[in-house]
Amino acid sequence: MSIQSELKTRFGDAVIETYLQKDGKPGLVLKPEALLEICNFLHDSGFDHLSLISGTDYVERMEVVYHIWSYARKENIVLKVKLDRENPVVDSVTAVWRGANWMERETYDLVGIEFKGHPDLRRILLPDPWDGHPLRRDYDMSVDQYVYIDENGKDVVTQDASKILREEALDGKN
Amino acid sequence: MARTEEYQLNVGPVHPSTHGVLRFLLTMEGETIKDVEMIIGQLHRGIEKIAESRSYLQFIPYTDRLDYISGMTNNYGFTKAVEDLAGITVPKKAEYLRVFVMELNRIVNHLVCIGSLLLDLGAATMIIYGFRERHKILELFESLSGARMTFNYIRPGGVRGDIPEGFIDKAKAFLRDMPKRLDDYAQLINENEIVLMRMKGIGMLSPEDAINYGVTGPMLRGSGVSYDIRKDDPYSVYEELDFKACTRPECDTYARYIVRMDEMYESLYIAEQALDRIEHLGGPVKAHFPRIFTPPEGEVYSRIEAPKGELGFYIVSDGSTRPYRVKIRSPPFCSLQALPQMVEGLKIPDLVATFGIVDIALGDVDR
Repeated sequence: MSIQSELKTRFGDAVIETYLQKDGKPGLVLKPEALLEICNFLHDSGFDHLSLISGTDYVERMEVVYHIWSYARKENIVLKVKLDRENPVVDSVTAVWRGANWMERETYDLVGIEFKGHPDLRRILLPDPWDGHPLRRDYDMSVDQYVYIDENGKDVVTQDASKILREEALDGKN
Repeated sequence: MARTEEYQLNVGPVHPSTHGVLRFLLTMEGETIKDVEMIIGQLHRGIEKIAESRSYLQFIPYTDRLDYISGMTNNYGFTKAVEDLAGITVPKKAEYLRVFVMELNRIVNHLVCIGSLLLDLGAATMIIYGFRERHKILELFESLSGARMTFNYIRPGGVRGDIPEGFIDKAKAFLRDMPKRLDDYAQLINENEIVLMRMKGIGMLSPEDAINYGVTGPMLRGSGVSYDIRKDDPYSVYEELDFKACTRPECDTYARYIVRMDEMYESLYIAEQALDRIEHLGGPVKAHFPRIFTPPEGEVYSRIEAPKGELGFYIVSDGSTRPYRVKIRSPPFCSLQALPQMVEGLKIPDLVATFGIVDIALGDVDR
């Protein structure tokens, strides 16, 4: 029995629909609240490699997609949860796969999806005070943000380019 | 007994052993590392955001700039995702050309990795030798693609162009020469006492932890997990070629180094087979790929065995000329997460050795 139908029979209420990706990988759309339980079950049944977590902004909703692979069974499974765009929160799977840690931080950083139960949910690629989540569709690309390091070694983000230029000019004088 | 107090030590972002702009914040107890925090993102260029405003063909040059050491495999990773999405079939000769350049690129990557690792350990010879062989491969690449590092060679439907005159002979000469060189390097390094002391038993990572952290590629195979996407989830023409996945059970830095050495021989062997078929195959090297390319709606995730591990591209298409979303699974981004566990309880010079063999390119980590 394929893992897709196995999950469907076992977690019938939690599975909203099944689908096939364009490349033939079987996928399931899940209710967000059931994600952690299903991930635990998958991990215990041999799906030990979490390839990728990716978040996508579809304007009317958010999606988080998990690509999982089993080293033993040599099988793919794709999980997807659809989230409310105003309040995109889903359970963290770091307890199942530790490798999810940075991937979830990155998704939080760039797409702005919150992972409940993540041990250390901070921005990872962008500096902490950055304004907005760049991979969201409504991110304003016309506003420039500049980063500099203040005297305490903290990143500071400003929209005022002259601020950086002035400090550089001052350094030159000294 | 002397009383020690925990303190924090900063390494990087600009430091010769961080191979780019990566910053470590070490928590130390005396000279022992208790914890490592890695601060990444200094090279973040928003490549995934850029992808949203480029056509599929326009995005390929950007993939060259992800892992700038192995541009060919990056090209192919994205190309494969696009081909999976649109169901494009590729001429046989093009597939063999792709395999040929990708395997040579793997050698380039491993030479740079091993060379810079040994440079960090204080042996400057290997990187000079490594760059000498790398130069020969890059010359071959240049004659194919016109560029030495930013190739833009592998494209949806095939490759940029057929081989130039005299290419087969030059490639054959290289393949004939290279195994002897590799033997020399193995002799130079493998049994070197300092190398053994610096790498044996350092940076242990059990197979269970490696899998759980999402570590892939030579790192995973150095932990005794015989897993190679070319074999276990085959793509391109790898099924028709004879090779083996190189594995070592020791789980330490030295095992990861040996895996990389073995893989270079294996890559040469694959390249030889591919070159043989290229020589005897005729026909086109490019299938028709429309100038205004609109793939069907849908999602695709395709992954390949890049030199550094599993490289994946997740593409969401909305049926327009530009991808709706491109998400890149970069291998060192995931492998780096295991570093704190690998170096816990070791000294700072061990961090340099353990980190060196993770083999990162910051362009790939930060994207």
